[in-house]
Formats: sequence, structure tokens, C-alpha cells
Amino acid sequence: MDAASVELSRVNAFFGPFHALKDVDLSVAPGRVTCLIGPSGSGKSTLLRCINFLEPYASGEIRIDGQLVGYETPGGKRMSGARLRAMRREIGMVFQAFNLWPHMTAQDNVAEGLCRVKGMGRAEAAARAADALERVDLGDKLASYPSRLSGGQQQRVAIARAMAMEPRLMLFDEPTSALDPELVGEVLAVMKRLAAEGMTMVVVTHEMGFAAHVADRVAFMDAGELVACGPAKDILHAPEDPRIAGFLRTYLERNAF
Amino acid sequence: MTDAAFLAHYGPILLRGFGVTVLCWAFGTVFGMALGLVITLAQRYGPRPLGWLLRVYIEVIRGTPFLVQLFVLYYGGPLLGLRLDAVPAGLLGLTIYGSPYFAEIFRAGFAAVPRGQIEAARAIGIAEPAIVRRILVPLALVSALPALVNFAIVLTKETVILSIITVPELMYRVQNMSAETYRFLEANLILALFFWALVEVISRAGRRLEAHMTRHITEGR
Repeated sequence: MDAASVELSRVNAFFGPFHALKDVDLSVAPGRVTCLIGPSGSGKSTLLRCINFLEPYASGEIRIDGQLVGYETPGGKRMSGARLRAMRREIGMVFQAFNLWPHMTAQDNVAEGLCRVKGMGRAEAAARAADALERVDLGDKLASYPSRLSGGQQQRVAIARAMAMEPRLMLFDEPTSALDPELVGEVLAVMKRLAAEGMTMVVVTHEMGFAAHVADRVAFMDAGELVACGPAKDILHAPEDPRIAGFLRTYLERNAF
Repeated sequence: MTDAAFLAHYGPILLRGFGVTVLCWAFGTVFGMALGLVITLAQRYGPRPLGWLLRVYIEVIRGTPFLVQLFVLYYGGPLLGLRLDAVPAGLLGLTIYGSPYFAEIFRAGFAAVPRGQIEAARAIGIAEPAIVRRILVPLALVSALPALVNFAIVLTKETVILSIITVPELMYRVQNMSAETYRFLEANLILALFFWALVEVISRAGRRLEAHMTRHITEGR
């Protein structure tokens, strides 16, 4: 696996009149982990969703390994559906709500993309899906339907589903926010393993511990702006911007008991 | 005529009529559903003018009585070069009549599929037609099933209107029998009994199908 780099420059996005992303710059080196933190509504998820063009951005450039995302040329027309799909094959995404397909078993959830996108035969896809689930410690849940799995297990299936496609970049959109506290650890453990294997990861999270220990860089967003981006220890322990200090203070107060 | 002779004479006739009723209903349900699904998909993925056209179709068919539609098709059709016998006209009429209701049920079913599950498929790079076939339609069917069964039941009773254009279904037979024997009450009670049995069977089958289709899917997800 050769990990991809991500480069955003002066990215703007809108929801109707609402300016969701304001001239955002961000660069993620291959094999590095960047955590996006900040208050809700600050544009973290929007930024993440722009990277695989689930949310179209209005101006600026997003490049993966130098390749422009979503448009033929900067400010030009949208790329074709086929080219967009080819690009998305390289990008795995994990959602807050897991978004597993409830009418398919864990194994079928993982195999579906292998069949439909990679064109594998059923037997090969099933074997690869079993491997992928084994790697997230769910080798004994192949035939389970999502409704029979805990939140943590469902999210690990979702990670396996994304990883089976052999992406070169993984996007995580608040992967543990919908989980009961005791289930957060098992998902973070899988993510740590991925990071250690050298996957490029962009993670929207409220898990400051994960950001502090796993992220190479932490980016703080507020009101659509990327306020600061740097090594975790600088951003989390010695924030220069008062907005970051304020955010971390409310965060600490909420988690104090 | 004694009761026994009465039954011996009209029993088989009524049974045949009931058979025709069931066949008309099954045809109208299956093809009305199929047409409804096509309409919904065309509205979702087709060009916009087609969507408007189908909207008008839905409103016109839903806004007019089946009886009138059937008259127009059977007696007005020949003026447009569409000359159909009673049975084909009845089957086509039922299909057309049911299709907009089924289309609206499917539309609601599609809307009930969580957006995230479609996004997950897009994020992996699955092409849109495969998303529709593998994820959208199966999940929409599950949430639409109770409403589909419900309208299929409504449709059983609409078949009686086919008697107006001389389709030899149960109502037609019952009316003949009434006219020939003056036993209006018996004839219509028998009719009611047949329909009640048919609806009971459909609703039981519907419940079993629903339990089968939702066995892996918890409520609300």
C-alpha cells in the first residue's frame, strides 16, 4: 500500500447562503494522521466530505497525490461520474452512524464493494471480506446482520468495508461519537493499528486522547475557518489562539467529574 | 329451484367467476406495481420534463373514478384505434388505475432509506445503477411493504367494476344469477364471502412476508 497525500488550498464551500468553509488550507503528508477538532457546526465534517466530493466545494483546490478532486480543472466543470468513482475507490470513509446496509450480513457488507467496484467473483470477494473482518477482530461475526452487532462491532465492520477496498487514504467522520463510552476503545484500537501501518488518515473527532497520542497534526476549526494546524502538543497543550483555549476548556469541564 | 339444485347450477359458475376475479386482481397488482416502480424511478432519475409528465399522469389517474377510466378505455379506445376485448381492457385498466398509487408508495419508500446508506455506497465507488438495484430498492421495498399490501387489498374490491364492461368475474356472475333467480341477497352474500376470504389470505400472506423481510432489520435503522 502506498499512502496518498492530501492538499487543500483556499477551499470554500456553501450551503445555500451559509458559508461553511472559508479559504481552508490544509496539507496531509503520506502516511500521516491529521485530526480535525473544533466545536460542532465549525465545518469539520464538511471539510472531510469535500475530500471525497460527497459535498461539492465551490472554489479552491483539493488534490490527492496532486490529482484534483471533483473537477476537470480548477474552477472548471465537474469530472464525470466514472472518474469520480475511480477517485473514490482510493478513499475509504467511515461515518458517525456506521451506515452499514442492514439487509446484508457483515461479510456481504464488506464483499459488496469488492464485487461491484473491483469486479471480483463472489467466492473471492467473500474470502477477502472474511480476511478484512478477521483483521478487525470480527472473524466470528461474518454471518451476523448489523442489527445483531453492537455499535463498536458495527463500526469495525464499516472500517473493514472501507479497508477491503485497499484505499490509500482513510476519512473518519466522528467514528466514535455514536458509541457508548465502553465501546469507544475497541474502535480507536483498530484506528491506531491502521495509523501504525502507515495509512494516511484524516479524522474528525472529539476524542482528544486519540488526537494527542495518535495524530501527527491537529487542526482546529471554528466557524468555517481553519484556525490553526500543527503538532498535537502545540495545539492541545500550548494553544496560541484564544478560541482553541476556550474550546479545550469547555471540553475539559464537560469531561471532568 | 331447490337450494341443492341452485348450488349445483350456480356453484361452478360462481367459482369460475371468482377465479377470474383472482386472476384479474393478481395481474393488476403485479403489473400495476411494476409500472408504479418504473414511474417512481423515471421521476427520480429521468429528465425533468418526463417527471412533470408523470406527475400529471399520477394526478389525473388518482383524481378520476376507475369506472370512468374503464369506460374511456373500453368505449373510447376504439375511437383512437385501440380496440380491446373486455378482459384485456379490464386488465390494462386495472394496471393503469393502480400504478400511480403504487408509484406514490414507492416514492415514500425511497424517501425512507437513510441517506447515509446511499452515501456509504457512493464513497466506496459503487455506480449509481448498482446502488439503486442492490441497496435503494431492497430497503425501500421493506419500508413500503405494509402500504403495498394495503393497496393490493384495496385493489381486490376494485375488480368488481370490471363487470361493467362484461369481464366474466365474480360480480358479473353474481349479477346474472340475481337477475335469473331473484335471489339478490344470497348472491351478494356469496360475493362478500368470497372477497372476505381473498382479503384474509392476502393480508395473512402480507404479514408473513413482512416478518420475513424485516427479520434482520430492527425498527428505525
